[in-house]
Amino acid sequence: MATLSSLNLVSPRVVANVLDSTKASSVKVPYLTQPWKRVSQLGSRRMKVIRPVRAAPDSISDKVEKSIKEAEEACSGDPASGECVAAWDEVEELSAAASHARDKKKGNDPLENYCKDHPETDECRTYED
Amino acid sequence: MAVCTVYTTQSLNSTCSISTPTKTHLGFHQKQVVFYSTGKRTSKRGSSSSGGPCVITCSAVDSQTVVIGLAADSGCGKSTFMRRLTSVFGGAAEPPRGGNPDSNTLISDMTTVICLDDYHSLDRTGRKEKGVTALDPRANNFDLMYEQVKALKSGVAVDKPIYNHVTGLLDPPELIKPPKILVIEGLHPMFDERVRDLLDFSIYLDISNEVKFAWKIQRDMAERGHSLESIKASIEARKPDFDAFIDPQKQYADAVIEVLPTQLIPGDNEGKVLRVRLIMKEGVKHFSPVYLFDEGSTLSWIPCGRKLTCSYPGIKFHYGPDTYFGNEVSILEMDGQFDRLDELIYVESHLSNISTKFYGEVTQQMLKHADFPGSNNGTGLFQTIVGLKIRDLYEQITTSKTATPLEATKA
Repeated sequence: MATLSSLNLVSPRVVANVLDSTKASSVKVPYLTQPWKRVSQLGSRRMKVIRPVRAAPDSISDKVEKSIKEAEEACSGDPASGECVAAWDEVEELSAAASHARDKKKGNDPLENYCKDHPETDECRTYED
Repeated sequence: MAVCTVYTTQSLNSTCSISTPTKTHLGFHQKQVVFYSTGKRTSKRGSSSSGGPCVITCSAVDSQTVVIGLAADSGCGKSTFMRRLTSVFGGAAEPPRGGNPDSNTLISDMTTVICLDDYHSLDRTGRKEKGVTALDPRANNFDLMYEQVKALKSGVAVDKPIYNHVTGLLDPPELIKPPKILVIEGLHPMFDERVRDLLDFSIYLDISNEVKFAWKIQRDMAERGHSLESIKASIEARKPDFDAFIDPQKQYADAVIEVLPTQLIPGDNEGKVLRVRLIMKEGVKHFSPVYLFDEGSTLSWIPCGRKLTCSYPGIKFHYGPDTYFGNEVSILEMDGQFDRLDELIYVESHLSNISTKFYGEVTQQMLKHADFPGSNNGTGLFQTIVGLKIRDLYEQITTSKTATPLEATKA
């Protein structure tokens, strides 16, 4: 819980992450006494909660596009200036981030992600003969 | 888990209290615990005495942290190399659970990978204002980098800052516990001399300009807003800083993986078939270079022929000693690509000193990650081999360090 408090006030994304995880911890408790409700209702609630709060790749793509325009503007003046070079460096950094986000998105199976954190739940139990 | 050696008070002049260690073996981080026991004696290391106080000195196994440095420009395959390396040790490396989702750190059972971008002293806006790229040493805090790597190497956990690549801001720090193997990857692992001295092994990925251009086109053309011109402009703009600050690090590396366009296809500019050279420094402790057939000789080898049939353009190997920036090196070079499993196993069976634990381990590792880029050419092969050499280096270092405390107690 110490980590949660230290992440406060940094960015809305991080706050949302905190909210999501508290939602996850509070949801399970009322259903301990009503196991017949557990699977169906918990299942539907759970799906809303799993989603990791990262910047959606679309916003990164927008950032890449914007940074390229800015770099072209900065370099229209003096191509060897520090501003021009720094602007293209930013383009490179954002392109790399976009490519990593694309790779991450490719491998994102919501069930696998959930089961990594909660292997003991019914959906994630594995049976070996 | 800790390695504890037991001393009796006859051998140490310490009183029955917990104090800062007056006697340190090999500079380990130690905690001394004094047990006052009468009559009952529990000593495992053979020190015999008639009861009396025993001092148990524990040194954390983590103080044997092996530090590996990996340097390469952005978009040059560091992430792929990291995944292959952590896979050699077993397990997948993942970002720390429950922490900042944009953390750059990867953690597996044995390894922790730290991205050196986290030591940026200027965030994106700061760099823009000063007109400085991330490649410039002025944008990086080398003092903090040195202190934290030194702390992790000696078994102390640190609060490492996080550089968020998406927002371009410096996020609040995350706790990093000392792992068995620490990998620091980024643009400047070997730039600062103090950090360089902490590294047990260092690798530099040297991608030639043509190949870099081809890889970046592959990576960025799918992005809206990018065009061939913008990709080219981005590479050209960063080149002066890259040549001035990043490229010189290759002279300090213990192993350089150089990627060049192929010589087998005249006029090829697609960059699909690659010529990869593994340049290994001679005389590095715990590291014996890979060789082909006869160590120290020079030879060219084309495995395709009667026993093995390959498709166009085939595979060509070269091995020989050389000098690289004034250092004695051995260079193993592969040009071409693998099309079939049996080509890979055939090549593996003819390489020596690859530090595998069983026949076919390299092939197995390559197949495990057949979807990674470079899995069919020298980049994947040499990255896998370097990963196995690092595992061998780690095992040599850890066995030599556990051997010495045993000798100390016998004395």
